[in-house]
Amino acid sequence: MKTEDLKNSKEYKYGFTTDIENIRAPKGLNEETIKFISNIKKEPKWMLDWRLKAYNRLKVLKEPDWQKPKYPKINYQDLYYYSAPKSSSEKPKSLDDIDPKILETYKKLGIPLDEQKRLNGIAVDAVFDSVSVATTFKDELTKKGIIFCSISEAIQKHPDLVKKYLGSVIPLSDHYFATLNSAVFTDGSFVYIPPNTRCPMELSTYFRINASETGQFERTLIIADKGSYVSYLEGCTAPMRDENQLHAANVELIALDDAEIKYSTVQNWYPGDENGRGGIYNFVTKRGACRGKNSKISWTQVETGSAITWKYPSCILQGDNSVGEFYSIAITNNHQKADTGTKMIHLGKNTKSKIISKGISAGKADNMYRGLVQIKNKASNSRNYTQCDSLLMGNKCGAHTIPYIKNNNSTSTIEHEATTTKINEEQLYYCNQRGLDQEEAVSLIVNGFCKEVLQQLPMEFAVEAQKLVAISLEGSVG
Amino acid sequence: MKNFYDFKVDNIIGLSSKEKEFRNKELDLFDKNGFPNKREEAWKFTDLNTILSKNFTNITNDYISLKEKKFELIKEFDHNYLFVLDGKLVSNEFKFEDKNKVSIKEYDYEKQTFVRNQNSLNLLNNALASGGYSLEISKNYKFRKPLVVYNHFSESIKEQIISYKNSLILNENSEIKILNYTDTNSKNNFFVNSFDCFKLKKDSSLKNIFINKNRCNCYFHNYQKSDLEHNTTLDNYILSTGLKFNKMDIEINLNEEHAKSSVFSALSLSSDEHQEIKSSLNHNSKNCQSYQKIKNVLNDQSRGVYQGKIFVKQEAQKTDAYQLSKALLLNDNAEFDAKPELEIYADDVKCSHGSTSGSIDLDSIHYLKSRGIPEKKAYQMLINGFLSEILEKLPEDNLKKFLIEKLGR
Repeated sequence: MKTEDLKNSKEYKYGFTTDIENIRAPKGLNEETIKFISNIKKEPKWMLDWRLKAYNRLKVLKEPDWQKPKYPKINYQDLYYYSAPKSSSEKPKSLDDIDPKILETYKKLGIPLDEQKRLNGIAVDAVFDSVSVATTFKDELTKKGIIFCSISEAIQKHPDLVKKYLGSVIPLSDHYFATLNSAVFTDGSFVYIPPNTRCPMELSTYFRINASETGQFERTLIIADKGSYVSYLEGCTAPMRDENQLHAANVELIALDDAEIKYSTVQNWYPGDENGRGGIYNFVTKRGACRGKNSKISWTQVETGSAITWKYPSCILQGDNSVGEFYSIAITNNHQKADTGTKMIHLGKNTKSKIISKGISAGKADNMYRGLVQIKNKASNSRNYTQCDSLLMGNKCGAHTIPYIKNNNSTSTIEHEATTTKINEEQLYYCNQRGLDQEEAVSLIVNGFCKEVLQQLPMEFAVEAQKLVAISLEGSVG
Repeated sequence: MKNFYDFKVDNIIGLSSKEKEFRNKELDLFDKNGFPNKREEAWKFTDLNTILSKNFTNITNDYISLKEKKFELIKEFDHNYLFVLDGKLVSNEFKFEDKNKVSIKEYDYEKQTFVRNQNSLNLLNNALASGGYSLEISKNYKFRKPLVVYNHFSESIKEQIISYKNSLILNENSEIKILNYTDTNSKNNFFVNSFDCFKLKKDSSLKNIFINKNRCNCYFHNYQKSDLEHNTTLDNYILSTGLKFNKMDIEINLNEEHAKSSVFSALSLSSDEHQEIKSSLNHNSKNCQSYQKIKNVLNDQSRGVYQGKIFVKQEAQKTDAYQLSKALLLNDNAEFDAKPELEIYADDVKCSHGSTSGSIDLDSIHYLKSRGIPEKKAYQMLINGFLSEILEKLPEDNLKKFLIEKLGR
């Protein structure tokens, strides 16, 4: 990346707000709000009951306090739980029906919503504040029997699938934020890939928080039926605001026999300014279940945004011979805090998992890998390999590694490795000598440090991610 | 739920009213949460509360030790000794040393050190401790022979808790090797909760070895707090124990430059033994080194736990810290849990950790068998090889020989 590019992108370029009228649910968290959300989405009764059950559970749950990044208490009564662009109260039939301002926003974000960008070959479901605005490429996917729509639509049109799988990986009473999401989730994506189908294109969702004092609670459910394959991308941005905003999403993946799901995230929520004011609290629950034999779930994440990131995309390896993978880059700068990692729970025989985590910490940030690898006693011949490397830039930041390792099977092997270092001076010197300035050199070295993870990203995302890596570390050296 | 314990400060004789007040306060703090369970991060893998409630009906602290004085000296190597009966210092002998250079007393509770951290057993120790010893070694004095601390527990202890504190001060440029030798023939259940405080002054060196004589049904918890000054060395060796439950909680503070510390452990566990090591190595100053190597062989329903932490303060540049835990699981009912943790705030450091757990390499077994070695022996050879890396590091030839024999290999 050239210096000019870096300068142009120095500021958080997604920090603008879009001035459109919103429909909001009344402020506060109560049964009325939940009924309001359910009603506006014309949900069937079973869905409302499900939400209320979650809400009742939430009343007895306590907010977790074991995590390292501490944050001021969130006043849940002071948030809007539903916010939708007014013009979308009638579901748009084609792109022409969408508020041009929203389209413009997405254009600024570089999302290929326009049909003319068909060449990109990515089917997009865009979620603006709380509702899904448009889903492209529907026809082509429908031909193959693939269902890719908003979860609200799926509740109406495919209730059997939703009923069967919703909450089957992240149960209603899982933990505080997951339960909160179950009670008030507003929209999100739903994907179903029929048996023996390979999804012909990358599916993608773009999330944007626009309105202020809004929490975004989306819910994604992906089901890969026997022998199918899908690759799914997720991106997120939010405007710059002084107050902290809450984002508590739930993502559930289900892979049946011989199916494979690849889930990639580039998370670039607003991280707050350099004094740590504002920014998104990204408290996300992501979990995948390899239900069938020979199934595979692979998580790839590039975490550069958010004031506090707190997420552990996990795999439950139930089926024999199933595989779980986790590739992660977490970059924190200024006052950002990231506490992220994964859980690999081996239940089936011959299950394998691999964890590659790269943490980069600069400024006054804290970066933590926290993970669990557990091999239960029936999971014979299982294997896990974990590698977590941390890079520290400057001496005001912190890098931490907390792996939990539990082995209960004598034929299984767990290997864990971790290192913490700073950027090698000799490498920097070498780059400088060849005419790269300090920042270019650092960006090059960091990209090299992250290479193993960047390689896992789909092409379009890899380029974006590489740029992001450079931008996020902007100004952290020298 | 009915409590399975009943502790009273009044059971301890000869306390001043001020001391009583302090101890009662500590006991109240302990009573709030009782024995630790998995909700506490320091006990993440072990629910001590449940373990104790299953094996005890009513633990008390009203034990008064008998004047039992017989014990067997180790004959294999020359040594000095302390004889500690049920936590109380009974006799000592320093016949190989210059007696003016060594000071040994009963532990002085007026000047006690105590810790109050997330481990509630420390509160209990603060409340109930009595007995224990204070050992101080003079400047520039290097022990000629090792010191063996015979920790003997009477057969009459049953359903009781024994709490005590020890202190050891090594003055400038002094040196000692200590073997903590736990010895009991008791078949009864009892609980030992001890606290060790080590102060290592400039250039001093301490090697501290833990082993026990035979299997027993007691539950041990030991908290060790060490403060290291400039250019000091502290090495801990934790060897196979055969105790029903043993948790060593080791806190080492590397407070000044060039302090070095290591924790080595070779454990071979069987039946339902539970052995746990929790370490936190705090690098508070620059240019310090720490090294940890933990090896566990787990058979039957045994359980090995390692929670190791390396903490590097912002000013502790040029830190070199290493941590490795390895486990061999020989049975599906055995379990190994590890939490090798790094918390680092300085950038010019070399910190790494590794953890592996798995089965014995079947290719190696095959190799040995194809050379005419019976399977059982082949296993034994590989296990010995696995543990010998640690055993080789033990100091002093005679002592090493004794320990290796003791471990039955």
